[in-house]
Amino acid sequence: MSIANKPLSLTINGKAVGPLLVPEGLMMIDFLHEYVALTGSRLGCGQGVCRACVAILDNPDGTSEEIRTCITGAHFFQGKKIRTVEAHAKRNDKGEVVELSPIQQAFLEHYSFQCGYCTPGFVNAATVLVEKLKRQPVDKDKVEETITDALNDHICRCTGYVRYYEAVKEVVMNTPGLVKGGKA
Amino acid sequence: MAKLDLSRRSFLKASVIAGVSVYVAPLGGKAFAALFEEKLLTPVKWSGKDGKAQFRIDGIAKVTGSKVFARDARARDMPHWPDQQSHAFILRATRADRSYEGFDLTLLGDELQPDRIVTAEDLARDGVKFPAFYGEDMLLPKGKTPAYLGHAVAILIYHEFAKFRFAKDTLKFHDEVIRYGAVTGPLERDPWGTFRFVRVGGTTPFDDDVFSSLKNAPVFPNMMRKHQPVWPDGQEHGKLGEQGMFYAGKIQDELDHPPADWLVFDREYHTQSIDTAALEPDNANCWYDAANQALHMIVPSQGPLEVVESATELINGAKARFPVKQLFVHPCFTVGYGSKDHYNVPFYGLVCALYGDGKPVRLAFDRYEHFQTSIKRHAFKMHYRIAVDKKTGLMQAFKGDFEANGGGRANFSPSVAMVGATAAQSVYYFPKNDFAAVAIASRAIDAGSARGYGTLQSMAATEMAVDEIAEKLGMDPIDFRLKNVLKSGMKNTQGAIPAGAIRADEVMEKAKVHPIWANRAKKKADFDTKNPGQRYGVGFACVQKDFGTGAESSFAKVEIGEDGTISLFHTGNEIGTGMSTSQALAVAKWLGFPAGDAHFGVTDWADLPVVTSGNPYLMSQAEQNKVSANPRWSPAYASPASATNSAFYYTHSTREAARVVFMHGLWPAAMAIWGQGIGGGQAGPLVVRVEDARWVDGKLSAGGLQALPFEQLVKKAHELGLVTGATVHVFNRWRWSEADFDIAGKPVRLPIDGLSLKYGSGAKPADKAKAATRGGYHVLDRKKVYIPDVQMNNAAVTYYSAVGTLVELAVHEASGKVEVLNHHSIMECGSQLSPQLVSGQLQGGVAMGIGHALHEFLPLYEDGPGNGTWNFNRYHVPRAKDVVVWKQTGEVLPPVTETDPPKGIAEVVMIPVVGAIVNGIAHAIGHRFTDLPVTPEKIQEVLA
Ligand code: FES
Ligand code: FES
Repeated sequence: MSIANKPLSLTINGKAVGPLLVPEGLMMIDFLHEYVALTGSRLGCGQGVCRACVAILDNPDGTSEEIRTCITGAHFFQGKKIRTVEAHAKRNDKGEVVELSPIQQAFLEHYSFQCGYCTPGFVNAATVLVEKLKRQPVDKDKVEETITDALNDHICRCTGYVRYYEAVKEVVMNTPGLVKGGKA
Repeated sequence: MAKLDLSRRSFLKASVIAGVSVYVAPLGGKAFAALFEEKLLTPVKWSGKDGKAQFRIDGIAKVTGSKVFARDARARDMPHWPDQQSHAFILRATRADRSYEGFDLTLLGDELQPDRIVTAEDLARDGVKFPAFYGEDMLLPKGKTPAYLGHAVAILIYHEFAKFRFAKDTLKFHDEVIRYGAVTGPLERDPWGTFRFVRVGGTTPFDDDVFSSLKNAPVFPNMMRKHQPVWPDGQEHGKLGEQGMFYAGKIQDELDHPPADWLVFDREYHTQSIDTAALEPDNANCWYDAANQALHMIVPSQGPLEVVESATELINGAKARFPVKQLFVHPCFTVGYGSKDHYNVPFYGLVCALYGDGKPVRLAFDRYEHFQTSIKRHAFKMHYRIAVDKKTGLMQAFKGDFEANGGGRANFSPSVAMVGATAAQSVYYFPKNDFAAVAIASRAIDAGSARGYGTLQSMAATEMAVDEIAEKLGMDPIDFRLKNVLKSGMKNTQGAIPAGAIRADEVMEKAKVHPIWANRAKKKADFDTKNPGQRYGVGFACVQKDFGTGAESSFAKVEIGEDGTISLFHTGNEIGTGMSTSQALAVAKWLGFPAGDAHFGVTDWADLPVVTSGNPYLMSQAEQNKVSANPRWSPAYASPASATNSAFYYTHSTREAARVVFMHGLWPAAMAIWGQGIGGGQAGPLVVRVEDARWVDGKLSAGGLQALPFEQLVKKAHELGLVTGATVHVFNRWRWSEADFDIAGKPVRLPIDGLSLKYGSGAKPADKAKAATRGGYHVLDRKKVYIPDVQMNNAAVTYYSAVGTLVELAVHEASGKVEVLNHHSIMECGSQLSPQLVSGQLQGGVAMGIGHALHEFLPLYEDGPGNGTWNFNRYHVPRAKDVVVWKQTGEVLPPVTETDPPKGIAEVVMIPVVGAIVNGIAHAIGHRFTDLPVTPEKIQEVLA
């Protein structure tokens, strides 16, 4: 077989990237790791099962969704906008973290993760959930169920999930406008 | 073309091993900062009030997806490496019953051929071999039968990523690439290890034993016949082994011909091989710089020192072809649950670099490869015979045969089999026992020190057994357990008395009154009526788990700078359990604050030279006495990180170092301040005892004296030239080594075996002169050392923590699915260093236990992961819905006193839930499974 390169341009974490020559058939996770040095999207299974590798795909209509970079080709993202885990915290000129996103802060304070390998996937999934609830708030008594449905596909081997879920619940309950039916 | 001249950089030299200078330390610079944990640790945010950390020390780096794993590092991140990164993958044999005869890469066409192929011939020619611990045939030579499924046969190296990627994808699942010859059948080999522990207690559990492993000796086979152990003949007054077999014979006799009022219970249990499924797949990234004779390794490892030693061993064998003067090891954060401790991937990574044509080579397994090679939890076959006196409900004798499948390489199999057997008694007292354990060699993938370490296997089985025995006796299962529970002061099955208070009975008493247990009959009746097609059940199990290896050692250094910064240096490495956070917190007990500057996985201990020799498990008392005359000698140097050794063993060294700084630095500084003025100052009229010292809100007070701020004490200690830093080395063989030292002219005995001191900036010239190490430490010669006798090795295990778990579940009749409805755990873990970390470990451990009981399974042989086709699509790691995230609860028994040491719990928490689920299924459907995992198919079969 021969390797055919094609130019690829997209927006990653708010910055235009490319055009870069990228082989057809290369998976997005390899592009992120080897072509643009973003290694926060982690390889867990490489077959679309564990969700360690998910990035956020921002659609033109303002919605966003999780996307598995291990089973999605890099060229699928031509002209598209994505966010990886590296997007969420605010950094100063030196690249130091000065502010975490609410989900990241909650994971930190709840001791949600142990090894942290799965953490980028959970950060992205929970971020997508929070953004979705901003558009479509959920009934207060459906919060736990909603979180479970949003995160259940994500594998974490270390933690047993409890502290991740509690942290997300706290953010959902305390962020104005995400929950309907009574005060948080 | 290095971008940075190493010689000018501040690498810390750890040591010189066999002529190779070993460096393990961070460079400055941004990219390096990203790689090394030391720069990734933010000071612990600390609430002085409740003594809790506000978040993990490594938290920000992890939650922002920074490069914290070895897997994240590329050549371009290393300032002194060339930019270009090469990549490698390994070809493996997926048959182990015929000879290997080479491989055929025509599938790759012309374009995807590797830049370099490495085979056994290359290794043999160049003197490249596995370090001895890992056995032979790092790459299998042609003509030999693979020792196990997945045996590596060749390494393919690519200098261009895209080519590598497409070549690897092309060959994936293509077993036909490997050529085989004649069918030979799998290799037959002697077991990796065999042990036998026989004990006959005295009249009461508190009397002297008639015979036991500790008092007398474990029994070892005379020889192997057809790969099976041949045990000595029993002789009452023969050699120790013969005596042991005499008592074993008597136990057997009694079980075969029991008294009329005995019940003799007989069952065989099976538990499966599992993958610890560490989410970071195994990997290494190494560079051999021939021009400078330097080797660089980025590795995830639970034991960086082991990597250093073994890597040195490997390169010394190959020095004619690949001379190495300097070895740079960069250990990273990792997670392994045991599978990244003494595993061989770092050395394959090293070999890739040797043949990388001067380029850094990354060897990063995908999940299929990880399943194919990572260290597994041992499958066990266990035959239990337990005798109970039906009148008293007391267990009388336990005969257990344990077979652990160790797979293709020895690794830790002997010790796992031994630990499994010695844990089989779980929380109960048995007057007599005969445990024979064998770790067999097979063509399965190597099994090793996976979380649970043999005890999950044997104790879960014991919990199933006692539950069933209680039913046969018509007793409440918890009452039966309580009747037989091991109490403080009773002996274990090796004849040793476990350390400290045994609190399993308290755990059981709590479970007994918990609503899940107390209301189970009524709830079952209600639930089954309301939910046709489902059957409700409640199960309980309680275990205690030893922690430690019987040769635990570590270094810790605690220093207070003039500006009040508390620094901690430790040999232990973060493996995901929060060890770095808990150790930083542990110094607060003595210094009032956690360490704000903490370094882990430290291997440079020039400030306290310690030497070791011999094998701590096997050496004779005479040898130990002789070598310990050297004041620098200890039986072991530094233990790799395991999930449970940090709480107890690492905390000991951390706290002892902090204590020395307190006792000989801050405390005398405080006394000097309090004693200022006429008549001994404010301290004059009072009796001031160090026992009364207390830290309150960052200030030290004692017996009514003015509280002194930390900063003031530090200043004074420096001014007076008191002790402001201490490096300690510790060793534990089921007891701590102790030694006598002279500190400032006063004799002190400390539970450590090596000590060096740093004095404050105002130190007298004489003290300054003594502080001659690179870091400015004064190395003390111990006056006398008290190392636990080698006889303690026979005790096997004496530190325990206890956990009980109640499980509510429903069995779905049609699908055979077991739905866990709720669970509650009760645990005893001494003093908690960090409650958030403890509950996190409980939750994580229970999830892993649920996986073991119901979901996770790997066939051992041809259909198993050795064939390279296993991944998470068919290996079910529990998800949130499987573990009852929202409802589960847990509680921790309060420590007996605040001085209780913290105990390791990461392993024990996963075990009781396994037994509890199987017992709960028995309550639900009346069938007792003995074979794990309990899958829907097995349930359907029983219900059919
Ligand atoms: S790595 Fe992409 S889903 Fe597992
Ligand atoms: S924290 Fe380790 S896998 Fe989730």
